[in-house]
Amino acid sequence: MECVVQGIIETQHVEALEILLQGLCGVPKQRLRIHELCLKSGPNLGVVASEVRLLCDLEQAEPSWTVKHIGGAMRGAGAEQLSVLVRTTVESKVSRNALRFFYGLGYKLDYELLRVGFAFTFERGARITVAVTSVNKMPKLHATDEAVPVTPGIQLVEVTSPAAADNYTDVVAAISSFCEHLAPLLHLSKPGVPTGVVATAAAAAASLMSNGSGTTL
Amino acid sequence: MSALPLQRMKWTYTVMGHHGSCLSAVGRPWILYWQPNSGTAINSQILTEVYQCVESMNATKGGRWKTSITLYKVILRDPNAPAEYARDFLGISLNEQPNKHYFILRGSRVVVEADSTILTIMEKLQSYKSRLSLFFEGIQYQIGDFQLRVGKVVLSHSENLKGIVMEVEYMPISSVEKSRQIMEEFLDIWQETLSKKSLPGHFVHNEANFADYGLADHYTSQHTAVQYVLVMGHLIAAVRG
Repeated sequence: MECVVQGIIETQHVEALEILLQGLCGVPKQRLRIHELCLKSGPNLGVVASEVRLLCDLEQAEPSWTVKHIGGAMRGAGAEQLSVLVRTTVESKVSRNALRFFYGLGYKLDYELLRVGFAFTFERGARITVAVTSVNKMPKLHATDEAVPVTPGIQLVEVTSPAAADNYTDVVAAISSFCEHLAPLLHLSKPGVPTGVVATAAAAAASLMSNGSGTTL
Repeated sequence: MSALPLQRMKWTYTVMGHHGSCLSAVGRPWILYWQPNSGTAINSQILTEVYQCVESMNATKGGRWKTSITLYKVILRDPNAPAEYARDFLGISLNEQPNKHYFILRGSRVVVEADSTILTIMEKLQSYKSRLSLFFEGIQYQIGDFQLRVGKVVLSHSENLKGIVMEVEYMPISSVEKSRQIMEEFLDIWQETLSKKSLPGHFVHNEANFADYGLADHYTSQHTAVQYVLVMGHLIAAVRG
């Protein structure tokens, strides 16, 4: 299970966001370069159509692969009132021929993306990860070196935290509390809920840049 | 047991037991299966005799071990409509890797290793279901630098004996090629010792073509998974035969 919120930020303000995050989190940033392949079951395969994602971490000296299944979001009146999406997820490290394996099972490549950016992972009431990435598409199959941004000038910000059935409310509260610190720069909401850029982003970014690197709070 | 085989074994331990450097705690196991003589059937008495034979070789008895293979069957929404899927899809849980799981597509010669959470993912995908499972289970032994696992093969929810297997591992060397001579000599001694019991059958080792599965010479648990699937194929063929 995980809790998730997303937002967008203009690329010109990413450096300011990084300064803010460095100050808030107090941990080193991790570089991200992840090749994400979304696979869908072929026609007639399975009880229902299914999707699975293969994530290849290209930042490592030896690329490492993960299989990820994203399940349905928590439903009900209580869930709808939450400002954070709570959904089931399962991940598994897998050897490098996972793509060939899923093709052999009858899965097809639906789309692939290259996410490039950075992330901070820290403890603040929950183990929170803030990832800031440009989402890139590939003009040719698997051509990660030729990837170009899907939305030039705009980057995706995702705040996630693992959760369980007995603690997700605490995790939701931790994420919501943390996101308030980012409000001057960007608005975060449940995936699928449009946010747009924040009007105060330019001023907030200028302030952060003029102050230099922030102090750890 | 006569003095001669014991002397040969001591030579084996002394010379070959210290052959090469100890690269890691992982060896390169050979997995053998019992081939009954034509017209005879496998039975639990043979397994008992095999255990006794191992124990007569001054083996140090260890704990129990268990490996399992699951055969999967595709789920199609409409059985009459076409679909692309795997017809020979197997899952393997190895005794020595409790947090890992292995999948093999025999038709396309693919083997993958994953965390055990992959099983939860496969359940959620609901595209394949378990058709039947085979359990390989028994007792582990140590003879010098050799580790032996001897056991029975049964279907889940059944005690009917489907086969007998023996896993022999020379711990100091994980290279397939470098360990070959040592393993062959050990197995010569083993077969000679076992032959004195005049059992209706013998152990067989078939070399797996690891390169077919894209596996390198340095031995890994993926190699073991491939070997078990190969043995399973022989056992099924023997039962059908």
